[in-house]
Amino acid sequence: MPIIEVENVSFKYSEAKEQALKGVSLTVEPGEFVGIIGPTGAGKSTLCWVLSGVIPQIIQGKLSGKVLVKGLPSNKTPVATISQVIGLVQQDAAAQLLMTDIEKEIVFPLENLGLPREEIDKRLNYILDLVNLRSERLRHPFYLSGGQKQRVAVAAALAMEPEILILDEATSELDPIGAEEVHDLAYSLRKQGKTVLMVEHNIDELAQVADRVIVMDQGSILMDAPIRKVLAQVDKLCELGIYPPQVTQTAHALQKLGVPVGEVPITLEEAIDLLKRISQDA
Amino acid sequence: MPEPIIQVDHLYYKYDTRDTYAVEDVNLTIEKGEFVAIIGQNGSGKTTMVKHFNGLHKPTKGRVIVEGKDTKDLLTSDLARSVGYVFQNPDHQIFAETVLDEVSFGPKNLGFSEEHIKEVVNKVLEEMALSGKEEDMPFQLSRGQRQRLAVASVLAMEPSILIIDEPTTGQDWRESIALMELVNELNRKGHTCIVTTHNMNLVSLYARRVIVMRQAKIALDGPTQDVFREVDELRKAAIKPPDVYALTEAIYPGIKLDKPILPDDLAELIIRNQKVGR
Repeated sequence: MPIIEVENVSFKYSEAKEQALKGVSLTVEPGEFVGIIGPTGAGKSTLCWVLSGVIPQIIQGKLSGKVLVKGLPSNKTPVATISQVIGLVQQDAAAQLLMTDIEKEIVFPLENLGLPREEIDKRLNYILDLVNLRSERLRHPFYLSGGQKQRVAVAAALAMEPEILILDEATSELDPIGAEEVHDLAYSLRKQGKTVLMVEHNIDELAQVADRVIVMDQGSILMDAPIRKVLAQVDKLCELGIYPPQVTQTAHALQKLGVPVGEVPITLEEAIDLLKRISQDA
Repeated sequence: MPEPIIQVDHLYYKYDTRDTYAVEDVNLTIEKGEFVAIIGQNGSGKTTMVKHFNGLHKPTKGRVIVEGKDTKDLLTSDLARSVGYVFQNPDHQIFAETVLDEVSFGPKNLGFSEEHIKEVVNKVLEEMALSGKEEDMPFQLSRGQRQRLAVASVLAMEPSILIIDEPTTGQDWRESIALMELVNELNRKGHTCIVTTHNMNLVSLYARRVIVMRQAKIALDGPTQDVFREVDELRKAAIKPPDVYALTEAIYPGIKLDKPILPDDLAELIIRNQKVGR
Protein backbone atom coordinates (compact mmCIF):
# COMPACT_ATOMS: atom_id res chain seq x y z
CA MET A 1 0.00 0.00 0.00
CA PRO A 2 1.37 3.44 -0.90
CA ILE A 3 2.56 5.60 1.99
CA ILE A 4 1.74 8.78 0.06
CA GLU A 5 -1.29 9.15 -2.20
CA VAL A 6 -1.91 12.40 -4.03
CA GLU A 7 -4.89 12.52 -6.33
CA ASN A 8 -5.69 15.40 -8.65
CA VAL A 9 -4.44 18.08 -6.26
CA SER A 10 -4.64 21.75 -7.16
CA PHE A 11 -3.72 24.70 -4.99
CA LYS A 12 -3.83 28.46 -5.34
CA TYR A 13 -2.21 30.75 -2.75
CA SER A 14 -4.67 33.35 -1.38
CA GLU A 15 -2.85 36.30 -2.96
CA ALA A 16 -1.89 34.59 -6.22
CA LYS A 17 -3.51 34.89 -9.62
CA GLU A 18 -2.44 31.48 -10.86
CA GLN A 19 -2.58 28.02 -9.39
CA ALA A 20 0.70 26.81 -7.88
CA LEU A 21 -0.35 23.17 -8.36
CA LYS A 22 -2.56 22.06 -11.24
CA GLY A 23 -4.07 18.61 -10.90
CA VAL A 24 -1.06 16.78 -9.50
CA SER A 25 -1.31 13.02 -8.88
CA LEU A 26 1.33 10.66 -7.56
CA THR A 27 1.85 7.74 -5.23
CA VAL A 28 4.95 6.80 -3.26
CA GLU A 29 5.58 3.33 -1.87
CA PRO A 30 7.24 2.84 1.52
CA GLY A 31 11.06 2.80 1.23
CA GLU A 32 11.27 4.65 -2.09
CA PHE A 33 13.82 7.44 -2.62
CA VAL A 34 12.18 9.98 -4.90
CA GLY A 35 13.89 13.04 -6.36
CA ILE A 36 11.85 16.07 -7.33
CA ILE A 37 13.31 18.54 -9.81
CA GLY A 38 12.10 21.50 -11.81
CA PRO A 39 12.67 25.22 -12.29
CA THR A 40 11.68 27.94 -9.80
CA GLY A 41 7.92 28.23 -9.65
CA ALA A 42 7.37 24.60 -10.64
CA GLY A 43 5.42 23.92 -7.44
CA LYS A 44 8.01 21.70 -5.72
CA SER A 45 7.91 23.40 -2.31
CA THR A 46 4.14 23.83 -2.55
CA LEU A 47 3.83 20.08 -2.99
CA CYS A 48 6.03 19.49 0.09
CA TRP A 49 3.85 21.83 2.14
CA VAL A 50 0.66 20.15 0.97
CA LEU A 51 2.05 16.75 1.98
CA SER A 52 3.02 17.99 5.44
CA GLY A 53 -0.30 19.77 6.01
CA VAL A 54 1.37 23.19 6.26
CA ILE A 55 -0.91 23.90 3.31
CA PRO A 56 -3.81 24.55 3.96
CA GLN A 57 -3.50 24.59 7.77
CA ILE A 58 -0.84 27.29 8.17
CA ILE A 59 -0.45 28.74 4.68
CA GLN A 60 -3.89 29.34 3.30
CA GLY A 61 -5.43 29.23 -0.14
CA LYS A 62 -7.72 27.19 -2.30
CA LEU A 63 -6.92 23.46 -2.13
CA SER A 64 -8.73 20.70 -3.98
CA GLY A 65 -8.10 16.99 -4.52
CA LYS A 66 -7.07 14.25 -2.13
CA VAL A 67 -3.85 13.89 -0.10
CA LEU A 68 -3.34 10.87 2.13
CA VAL A 69 -0.15 10.42 4.11
CA LYS A 70 -0.04 6.97 5.68
CA GLY A 71 -3.80 7.04 5.35
CA LEU A 72 -4.18 10.42 7.10
CA PRO A 73 -5.81 13.27 5.19
CA SER A 74 -3.10 15.97 5.38
CA ASN A 75 -5.56 18.86 5.17
CA LYS A 76 -7.41 17.86 8.36
CA THR A 77 -4.84 16.04 10.46
CA PRO A 78 -3.11 18.44 12.89
CA VAL A 79 0.36 19.44 11.60
CA ALA A 80 1.88 18.26 14.90
CA THR A 81 0.46 14.78 14.25
CA ILE A 82 1.63 14.71 10.62
CA SER A 83 5.10 15.77 11.73
CA GLN A 84 5.33 12.38 13.43
CA VAL A 85 4.83 10.78 10.03
CA ILE A 86 6.61 13.30 7.78
CA GLY A 87 9.77 15.19 8.73
CA LEU A 88 10.22 18.28 6.57
CA VAL A 89 13.65 19.94 6.32
CA GLN A 90 13.82 23.12 4.29
CA GLN A 91 16.52 25.14 2.58
CA ASP A 92 17.07 27.57 5.43
CA ALA A 93 16.43 25.06 8.22
CA ALA A 94 19.78 26.03 9.75
CA ALA A 95 18.48 29.57 10.20
CA GLN A 96 15.53 28.22 12.15
CA LEU A 97 17.60 26.56 14.87
CA LEU A 98 16.54 28.30 18.03
CA MET A 99 18.03 26.56 21.06
CA THR A 100 21.39 27.19 22.72
CA ASP A 101 22.80 23.74 22.07
CA ILE A 102 22.21 20.85 19.73
CA GLU A 103 20.87 18.51 22.36
CA LYS A 104 18.17 21.00 23.35
CA GLU A 105 17.34 21.53 19.68
CA ILE A 106 16.61 17.83 19.25
CA VAL A 107 14.88 17.35 22.60
CA PHE A 108 12.59 20.39 22.47
CA PRO A 109 9.96 19.03 20.04
CA LEU A 110 9.99 15.68 21.87
CA GLU A 111 9.24 17.41 25.17
CA ASN A 112 6.42 19.22 23.41
CA LEU A 113 4.98 15.85 22.46
CA GLY A 114 4.96 15.02 26.16
CA LEU A 115 7.10 11.91 25.73
CA PRO A 116 8.51 10.24 28.87
CA ARG A 117 12.11 11.19 29.78
CA GLU A 118 13.51 7.68 29.06
CA GLU A 119 11.99 7.69 25.57
CA ILE A 120 13.43 11.16 24.87
CA ASP A 121 16.89 10.06 26.00
CA LYS A 122 16.69 6.91 23.92
CA ARG A 123 15.79 8.83 20.77
CA LEU A 124 18.37 11.54 21.43
CA ASN A 125 21.16 9.01 21.77
CA TYR A 126 20.14 7.14 18.67
CA ILE A 127 19.86 10.32 16.58
CA LEU A 128 23.17 11.82 17.73
CA ASP A 129 24.98 8.75 16.42
CA LEU A 130 22.94 8.61 13.25
CA VAL A 131 23.79 12.18 12.25
CA ASN A 132 27.28 11.86 13.69
CA LEU A 133 27.05 14.83 16.03
CA ARG A 134 27.62 13.17 19.40
CA SER A 135 30.85 15.03 20.14
CA GLU A 136 29.19 18.33 19.22
CA ARG A 137 26.01 17.80 21.21
CA LEU A 138 26.54 20.55 23.76
CA ARG A 139 27.78 23.16 21.32
CA HIS A 140 25.82 26.25 20.31
CA PRO A 141 24.53 25.93 16.71
CA PHE A 142 26.34 29.21 15.97
CA TYR A 143 29.70 27.42 16.12
CA LEU A 144 28.77 24.68 13.66
CA SER A 145 29.52 24.54 9.95
CA GLY A 146 26.65 24.85 7.47
CA GLY A 147 26.62 21.10 6.88
CA GLN A 148 26.57 20.38 10.62
CA LYS A 149 23.72 22.85 11.18
CA GLN A 150 21.68 21.30 8.42
CA ARG A 151 22.34 17.87 9.93
CA VAL A 152 21.00 19.19 13.24
CA ALA A 153 17.84 20.25 11.40
CA VAL A 154 17.56 16.77 9.91
CA ALA A 155 18.18 15.28 13.37
CA ALA A 156 15.42 17.38 14.92
CA ALA A 157 13.02 16.19 12.22
CA LEU A 158 14.11 12.56 12.61
CA ALA A 159 13.74 12.60 16.39
CA MET A 160 9.99 12.60 15.79
CA GLU A 161 10.58 9.18 14.17
CA PRO A 162 8.75 10.01 10.95
CA GLU A 163 8.54 7.27 8.33
CA ILE A 164 8.93 9.86 5.59
CA LEU A 165 11.65 12.48 5.34
CA ILE A 166 11.27 15.39 2.91
CA LEU A 167 14.37 17.42 2.10
CA ASP A 168 13.31 20.59 0.29
CA GLU A 169 16.53 21.96 -1.19
CA ALA A 170 18.07 21.21 2.17
CA THR A 171 21.58 21.54 0.74
CA SER A 172 21.28 24.50 -1.60
CA GLU A 173 23.07 26.91 0.73
CA LEU A 174 25.84 24.50 1.61
CA ASP A 175 29.24 24.11 0.02
CA PRO A 176 29.91 20.80 -1.77
CA ILE A 177 31.26 19.00 1.31
CA GLY A 178 28.36 20.19 3.48
CA ALA A 179 25.93 19.04 0.81
CA GLU A 180 27.59 15.64 0.65
CA GLU A 181 27.23 15.21 4.44
CA VAL A 182 23.48 15.75 4.19
CA HIS A 183 23.11 13.55 1.11
CA ASP A 184 25.04 10.72 2.77
CA LEU A 185 22.73 11.00 5.73
CA ALA A 186 19.65 10.85 3.48
CA TYR A 187 21.08 7.78 1.78
CA SER A 188 21.73 6.00 5.05
CA LEU A 189 18.10 6.66 6.04
CA ARG A 190 16.88 5.09 2.87
CA LYS A 191 18.95 2.01 3.65
CA GLN A 192 17.06 1.81 6.94
CA GLY A 193 13.82 1.66 5.04
CA LYS A 194 12.69 5.27 5.43
CA THR A 195 10.85 6.89 2.57
CA VAL A 196 12.75 9.93 1.31
CA LEU A 197 11.55 12.73 -0.96
CA MET A 198 14.33 15.06 -2.03
CA VAL A 199 13.79 18.33 -3.86
CA GLU A 200 17.16 19.13 -5.37
CA HIS A 201 18.67 21.42 -8.01
CA ASN A 202 21.80 19.36 -8.27
CA ILE A 203 20.78 16.50 -10.47
CA ASP A 204 24.27 14.95 -10.27
CA GLU A 205 23.54 14.28 -6.63
CA LEU A 206 20.14 12.79 -7.34
CA ALA A 207 21.72 10.46 -9.88
CA GLN A 208 23.74 8.93 -7.03
CA VAL A 209 20.82 8.28 -4.68
CA ALA A 210 17.32 8.42 -6.18
CA ASP A 211 15.36 5.45 -7.58
CA ARG A 212 12.83 7.61 -9.25
CA VAL A 213 12.54 11.24 -10.32
CA ILE A 214 9.55 13.51 -10.66
CA VAL A 215 10.05 16.48 -13.00
CA MET A 216 7.73 19.41 -12.33
CA ASP A 217 7.11 22.58 -14.27
CA GLN A 218 4.52 25.32 -13.75
CA GLY A 219 2.47 23.39 -11.24
CA SER A 220 2.29 20.11 -13.14
CA ILE A 221 4.19 16.84 -13.23
CA LEU A 222 5.90 16.44 -16.62
CA MET A 223 7.77 13.20 -16.00
CA ASP A 224 7.63 10.57 -13.29
CA ALA A 225 9.92 7.66 -14.03
CA PRO A 226 13.00 5.69 -12.92
CA ILE A 227 15.95 8.08 -12.75
CA ARG A 228 17.80 6.58 -15.71
CA LYS A 229 14.82 7.09 -17.96
CA VAL A 230 14.46 10.72 -16.89
CA LEU A 231 18.16 11.56 -17.25
CA ALA A 232 18.26 10.04 -20.73
CA GLN A 233 15.97 12.89 -21.86
CA VAL A 234 18.94 15.26 -22.13
CA ASP A 235 17.36 17.68 -24.62
CA LYS A 236 14.09 17.80 -22.73
CA LEU A 237 15.87 18.55 -19.44
CA CYS A 238 17.94 21.32 -21.04
CA GLU A 239 14.72 22.81 -22.42
CA LEU A 240 13.37 22.88 -18.87
CA GLY A 241 16.48 24.64 -17.64
CA ILE A 242 17.87 21.59 -15.84
CA TYR A 243 21.56 20.78 -16.34
CA PRO A 244 21.83 17.01 -16.85
CA PRO A 245 24.83 15.16 -15.36
CA GLN A 246 27.93 15.78 -17.47
CA VAL A 247 28.52 12.05 -17.85
CA THR A 248 25.05 11.64 -19.35
CA GLN A 249 25.59 14.70 -21.56
CA THR A 250 28.84 13.24 -22.89
CA ALA A 251 27.16 9.96 -23.89
CA HIS A 252 24.28 11.91 -25.42
CA ALA A 253 26.72 14.02 -27.46
CA LEU A 254 28.42 10.85 -28.74
CA GLN A 255 25.05 9.43 -29.70
CA LYS A 256 24.31 12.59 -31.68
CA LEU A 257 27.64 12.18 -33.45
CA GLY A 258 26.54 8.73 -34.57
CA VAL A 259 28.20 6.54 -31.95
CA PRO A 260 25.88 3.87 -30.54
CA VAL A 261 26.05 4.09 -26.74
CA GLY A 262 23.18 1.83 -25.63
CA GLU A 263 21.79 2.68 -22.22
CA VAL A 264 23.08 6.13 -21.19
CA PRO A 265 25.39 6.21 -18.15
CA ILE A 266 24.30 8.21 -15.11
CA THR A 267 27.31 7.74 -12.86
CA LEU A 268 30.99 8.47 -13.45
CA GLU A 269 31.91 4.78 -13.18
CA GLU A 270 29.38 3.76 -15.81
CA ALA A 271 30.54 6.55 -18.11
CA ILE A 272 34.22 5.59 -17.76
CA ASP A 273 33.39 1.99 -18.72
CA LEU A 274 31.38 3.14 -21.72
CA LEU A 275 33.94 5.64 -23.02
CA LYS A 276 36.83 3.22 -22.56
CA ARG A 277 34.94 0.69 -24.64
CA ILE A 278 34.13 3.24 -27.35
CA SER A 279 37.61 4.73 -27.53
CA GLN A 280 39.20 1.26 -27.74
CA ASP A 281 36.83 0.17 -30.49
CA ALA A 282 38.69 2.35 -32.94
CA MET B 1 49.54 43.55 -23.97
CA PRO B 2 48.24 42.48 -20.54
CA GLU B 3 47.15 45.37 -18.38
CA PRO B 4 46.70 44.71 -14.65
CA ILE B 5 43.37 46.04 -13.35
CA ILE B 6 43.51 44.57 -9.84
CA GLN B 7 46.75 43.96 -7.96
CA VAL B 8 46.77 42.32 -4.55
CA ASP B 9 50.06 42.52 -2.74
CA HIS B 10 50.65 40.57 0.49
CA LEU B 11 47.06 41.15 1.60
CA TYR B 12 46.12 40.28 5.18
CA TYR B 13 42.71 40.91 6.70
CA LYS B 14 41.44 40.18 10.20
CA TYR B 15 37.93 40.81 11.50
CA ASP B 16 37.89 42.57 14.89
CA THR B 17 35.96 39.69 16.41
CA ARG B 18 38.36 36.94 15.31
CA ASP B 19 41.84 35.91 16.33
CA THR B 20 42.90 34.48 12.99
CA TYR B 21 43.25 36.10 9.59
CA ALA B 22 40.29 35.75 7.22
CA VAL B 23 42.69 36.48 4.36
CA GLU B 24 46.35 35.70 4.83
CA ASP B 25 49.23 36.74 2.59
CA VAL B 26 47.30 36.73 -0.67
CA ASN B 27 49.09 37.82 -3.84
CA LEU B 28 47.48 38.00 -7.23
CA THR B 29 47.09 40.10 -10.34
CA ILE B 30 43.95 40.22 -12.46
CA GLU B 31 44.35 41.58 -15.98
CA LYS B 32 41.82 43.73 -17.73
CA GLY B 33 39.20 41.60 -19.51
CA GLU B 34 39.75 38.38 -17.54
CA PHE B 35 36.90 36.13 -16.41
CA VAL B 36 37.93 34.72 -13.05
CA ALA B 37 36.11 32.33 -10.72
CA ILE B 38 37.02 32.29 -7.05
CA ILE B 39 36.05 29.04 -5.38
CA GLY B 40 36.51 27.42 -1.98
CA GLN B 41 34.61 26.19 1.04
CA ASN B 42 32.37 28.46 3.12
CA GLY B 43 34.67 30.47 5.37
CA SER B 44 37.73 30.05 3.14
CA GLY B 45 38.04 33.82 2.63
CA LYS B 46 36.50 34.27 -0.84
CA THR B 47 33.98 36.97 0.01
CA THR B 48 36.35 38.72 2.40
CA MET B 49 38.92 38.96 -0.36
CA VAL B 50 36.61 40.23 -3.09
CA LYS B 51 35.17 42.86 -0.74
CA HIS B 52 38.64 44.43 -0.86
CA PHE B 53 38.26 45.01 -4.59
CA ASN B 54 35.47 47.56 -4.13
CA GLY B 55 36.82 48.99 -0.88
CA LEU B 56 34.19 47.46 1.42
CA HIS B 57 37.16 46.07 3.33
CA LYS B 58 40.49 47.83 3.73
CA PRO B 59 43.60 45.68 4.22
CA THR B 60 44.80 45.01 7.76
CA LYS B 61 48.22 44.63 6.11
CA GLY B 62 49.37 44.76 2.49
CA ARG B 63 47.95 46.60 -0.51
CA VAL B 64 45.12 46.34 -3.01
CA ILE B 65 45.50 48.41 -6.19
CA VAL B 66 42.42 48.85 -8.42
CA GLU B 67 42.90 50.56 -11.80
CA GLY B 68 46.23 51.89 -10.58
CA LYS B 69 44.93 53.37 -7.31
CA ASP B 70 45.53 52.10 -3.79
CA THR B 71 42.08 51.33 -2.31
CA LYS B 72 43.16 52.62 1.10
CA ASP B 73 43.06 56.16 -0.33
CA LEU B 74 39.63 55.66 -1.91
CA LEU B 75 36.06 55.70 -0.65
CA THR B 76 33.72 52.87 -1.65
CA SER B 77 31.75 55.53 -3.54
CA ASP B 78 34.87 56.44 -5.56
CA LEU B 79 35.26 52.79 -6.50
CA ALA B 80 31.59 52.33 -7.39
CA ARG B 81 32.16 53.69 -10.86
CA SER B 82 34.81 51.06 -11.64
CA VAL B 83 33.67 48.13 -9.54
CA GLY B 84 30.14 46.76 -9.56
CA TYR B 85 29.38 44.35 -6.73
CA VAL B 86 26.36 42.07 -6.73
CA PHE B 87 25.64 40.79 -3.24
CA GLN B 88 24.61 37.23 -2.40
CA ASN B 89 21.58 38.61 -0.62
CA PRO B 90 19.78 41.08 -2.89
CA ASP B 91 18.01 42.66 0.09
CA HIS B 92 21.38 44.03 1.23
CA GLN B 93 21.41 46.41 -1.69
CA ILE B 94 17.83 47.09 -2.78
CA PHE B 95 16.38 50.32 -1.34
CA ALA B 96 14.23 52.20 -3.88
CA GLU B 97 10.43 52.25 -4.03
CA THR B 98 10.07 51.14 -7.61
CA VAL B 99 12.04 48.84 -9.87
CA LEU B 100 12.67 51.72 -12.26
CA ASP B 101 14.09 53.97 -9.53
CA GLU B 102 16.28 51.16 -8.28
CA VAL B 103 17.88 50.56 -11.67
CA SER B 104 18.15 54.24 -12.66
CA PHE B 105 19.75 55.33 -9.39
CA GLY B 106 23.31 54.28 -10.22
CA PRO B 107 23.55 55.68 -13.74
CA LYS B 108 21.87 58.94 -12.60
CA ASN B 109 24.45 59.32 -9.86
CA LEU B 110 27.25 58.74 -12.32
CA GLY B 111 25.89 61.60 -14.45
CA PHE B 112 24.92 59.55 -17.53
CA SER B 113 22.76 61.47 -20.02
CA GLU B 114 19.01 60.99 -19.76
CA GLU B 115 18.92 59.27 -23.12
CA HIS B 116 21.73 56.89 -22.20
CA ILE B 117 20.06 56.09 -18.87
CA LYS B 118 16.84 55.17 -20.60
CA GLU B 119 18.67 52.96 -23.03
CA VAL B 120 20.73 51.01 -20.49
CA VAL B 121 17.84 50.70 -18.04
CA ASN B 122 15.54 49.24 -20.67
CA LYS B 123 18.24 46.89 -21.85
CA VAL B 124 19.14 45.48 -18.45
CA LEU B 125 15.50 45.16 -17.39
CA GLU B 126 14.73 43.23 -20.51
CA GLU B 127 17.75 40.97 -20.14
CA MET B 128 16.92 40.30 -16.50
CA ALA B 129 13.29 39.46 -17.46
CA LEU B 130 11.96 42.42 -15.48
CA SER B 131 10.39 44.41 -18.32
CA GLY B 132 6.85 45.48 -17.46
CA LYS B 133 7.69 45.58 -13.76
CA GLU B 134 9.11 49.12 -13.81
CA GLU B 135 6.50 50.47 -11.40
CA ASP B 136 6.43 47.45 -9.06
CA MET B 137 7.77 47.68 -5.53
CA PRO B 138 11.01 45.70 -5.24
CA PHE B 139 9.94 43.96 -2.05
CA GLN B 140 6.85 42.55 -3.75
CA LEU B 141 9.04 40.70 -6.23
CA SER B 142 10.04 37.08 -5.73
CA ARG B 143 13.47 36.33 -4.32
CA GLY B 144 14.77 35.34 -7.77
CA GLN B 145 13.40 38.55 -9.28
CA ARG B 146 14.97 40.66 -6.51
CA GLN B 147 18.29 38.94 -7.19
CA ARG B 148 18.00 39.84 -10.87
CA LEU B 149 16.96 43.39 -9.97
CA ALA B 150 20.10 43.73 -7.86
CA VAL B 151 22.19 42.57 -10.80
CA ALA B 152 20.34 44.87 -13.20
CA SER B 153 21.04 47.93 -11.09
CA VAL B 154 24.75 47.13 -10.97
CA LEU B 155 24.93 46.36 -14.70
CA ALA B 156 23.20 49.66 -15.50
CA MET B 157 26.32 51.48 -14.24
CA GLU B 158 28.45 49.61 -16.80
CA PRO B 159 31.32 49.11 -14.35
CA SER B 160 34.68 48.07 -15.80
CA ILE B 161 35.00 45.41 -13.09
CA LEU B 162 32.02 43.26 -12.18
CA ILE B 163 31.97 41.11 -9.06
CA ILE B 164 29.20 38.55 -8.69
CA ASP B 165 29.05 36.93 -5.27
CA GLU B 166 27.36 33.51 -5.69
CA PRO B 167 25.02 33.97 -8.68
CA THR B 168 23.14 30.75 -7.91
CA THR B 169 21.69 31.82 -4.56
CA GLY B 170 17.90 31.60 -4.80
CA GLN B 171 18.07 30.97 -8.57
CA ASP B 172 17.47 27.85 -10.57
CA TRP B 173 19.87 26.76 -13.30
CA ARG B 174 18.09 28.62 -16.09
CA GLU B 175 18.06 31.87 -14.12
CA SER B 176 21.70 31.46 -13.14
CA ILE B 177 22.62 30.89 -16.78
CA ALA B 178 20.63 33.96 -17.89
CA LEU B 179 22.59 36.04 -15.41
CA MET B 180 25.93 34.53 -16.41
CA GLU B 181 25.19 35.03 -20.11
CA LEU B 182 24.73 38.71 -19.43
CA VAL B 183 27.94 38.83 -17.44
CA ASN B 184 29.66 36.94 -20.23
CA GLU B 185 28.46 39.45 -22.80
CA LEU B 186 29.95 42.27 -20.74
CA ASN B 187 33.16 40.26 -20.49
CA ARG B 188 33.34 39.97 -24.28
CA LYS B 189 33.04 43.75 -24.43
CA GLY B 190 36.12 44.00 -22.26
CA HIS B 191 34.70 44.17 -18.75
CA THR B 192 36.65 42.25 -16.15
CA CYS B 193 34.42 39.68 -14.42
CA ILE B 194 34.97 37.99 -11.09
CA VAL B 195 32.53 35.42 -9.78
CA THR B 196 32.52 33.51 -6.50
CA THR B 197 30.47 30.33 -6.56
CA HIS B 198 30.04 26.77 -5.33
CA ASN B 199 28.65 25.64 -8.67
CA MET B 200 31.48 24.01 -10.61
CA ASN B 201 29.36 23.57 -13.73
CA LEU B 202 28.98 27.35 -13.94
CA VAL B 203 32.71 27.77 -13.43
CA SER B 204 33.56 25.39 -16.25
CA LEU B 205 31.09 27.06 -18.61
CA TYR B 206 32.31 30.63 -18.10
CA ALA B 207 35.57 31.14 -16.22
CA ARG B 208 38.91 30.99 -17.99
CA ARG B 209 40.86 31.26 -14.76
CA VAL B 210 40.14 29.72 -11.38
CA ILE B 211 41.45 30.77 -7.99
CA VAL B 212 40.96 28.26 -5.18
CA MET B 213 40.95 29.60 -1.62
CA ARG B 214 41.60 27.38 1.37
CA GLN B 215 41.95 28.51 4.97
CA ALA B 216 42.40 32.19 4.09
CA LYS B 217 45.08 31.50 1.46
CA ILE B 218 45.25 30.88 -2.25
CA ALA B 219 45.69 27.14 -2.78
CA LEU B 220 45.56 27.10 -6.59
CA ASP B 221 45.48 29.74 -9.31
CA GLY B 222 45.55 28.96 -13.01
CA PRO B 223 43.61 28.28 -16.21
CA THR B 224 40.28 26.52 -15.51
CA GLN B 225 41.28 23.36 -17.39
CA ASP B 226 44.49 23.00 -15.34
CA VAL B 227 43.01 23.78 -11.92
CA PHE B 228 40.18 21.28 -12.39
CA ARG B 229 42.71 18.48 -12.85
CA GLU B 230 44.47 19.11 -9.53
CA VAL B 231 42.18 16.56 -7.91
CA ASP B 232 44.18 16.11 -4.68
CA GLU B 233 44.60 19.82 -3.97
CA LEU B 234 40.91 20.39 -4.79
CA ARG B 235 39.85 17.67 -2.40
CA LYS B 236 41.73 19.43 0.42
CA ALA B 237 39.73 22.56 -0.43
CA ALA B 238 36.51 20.51 -0.38
CA ILE B 239 35.94 20.92 -4.11
CA LYS B 240 34.83 18.28 -6.54
CA PRO B 241 35.63 19.24 -10.15
CA PRO B 242 33.01 18.72 -12.88
CA ASP B 243 32.75 15.03 -13.82
CA VAL B 244 33.87 15.63 -17.39
CA TYR B 245 37.40 16.25 -16.08
CA ALA B 246 37.52 12.92 -14.27
CA LEU B 247 36.09 11.30 -17.38
CA THR B 248 38.68 12.91 -19.66
CA GLU B 249 41.50 11.92 -17.32
CA ALA B 250 40.24 8.30 -17.21
CA ILE B 251 40.18 8.00 -21.00
CA TYR B 252 43.21 10.15 -21.86
CA PRO B 253 45.48 10.26 -18.81
CA GLY B 254 47.65 13.37 -18.75
CA ILE B 255 46.24 14.83 -22.00
CA LYS B 256 47.02 18.49 -22.47
CA LEU B 257 43.95 20.74 -22.67
CA ASP B 258 44.22 24.23 -24.08
CA LYS B 259 40.78 25.36 -22.93
CA PRO B 260 38.09 24.33 -20.42
CA ILE B 261 36.43 21.08 -21.50
CA LEU B 262 32.67 20.45 -21.67
CA PRO B 263 30.77 17.22 -22.44
CA ASP B 264 30.39 18.10 -26.15
CA ASP B 265 34.14 18.77 -26.40
CA LEU B 266 34.98 15.37 -24.90
CA ALA B 267 32.60 13.63 -27.30
CA GLU B 268 34.30 15.36 -30.25
CA LEU B 269 37.72 14.54 -28.88
CA ILE B 270 36.81 10.85 -28.74
CA ILE B 271 35.50 10.90 -32.31
CA ARG B 272 38.64 12.70 -33.54
CA ASN B 273 40.90 10.18 -31.85
CA GLN B 274 38.90 7.30 -33.30
CA LYS B 275 39.48 8.67 -36.78
CA VAL B 276 43.20 9.12 -36.12
CA GLY B 277 43.34 5.56 -34.79
CA ARG B 278 41.88 4.07 -37.97
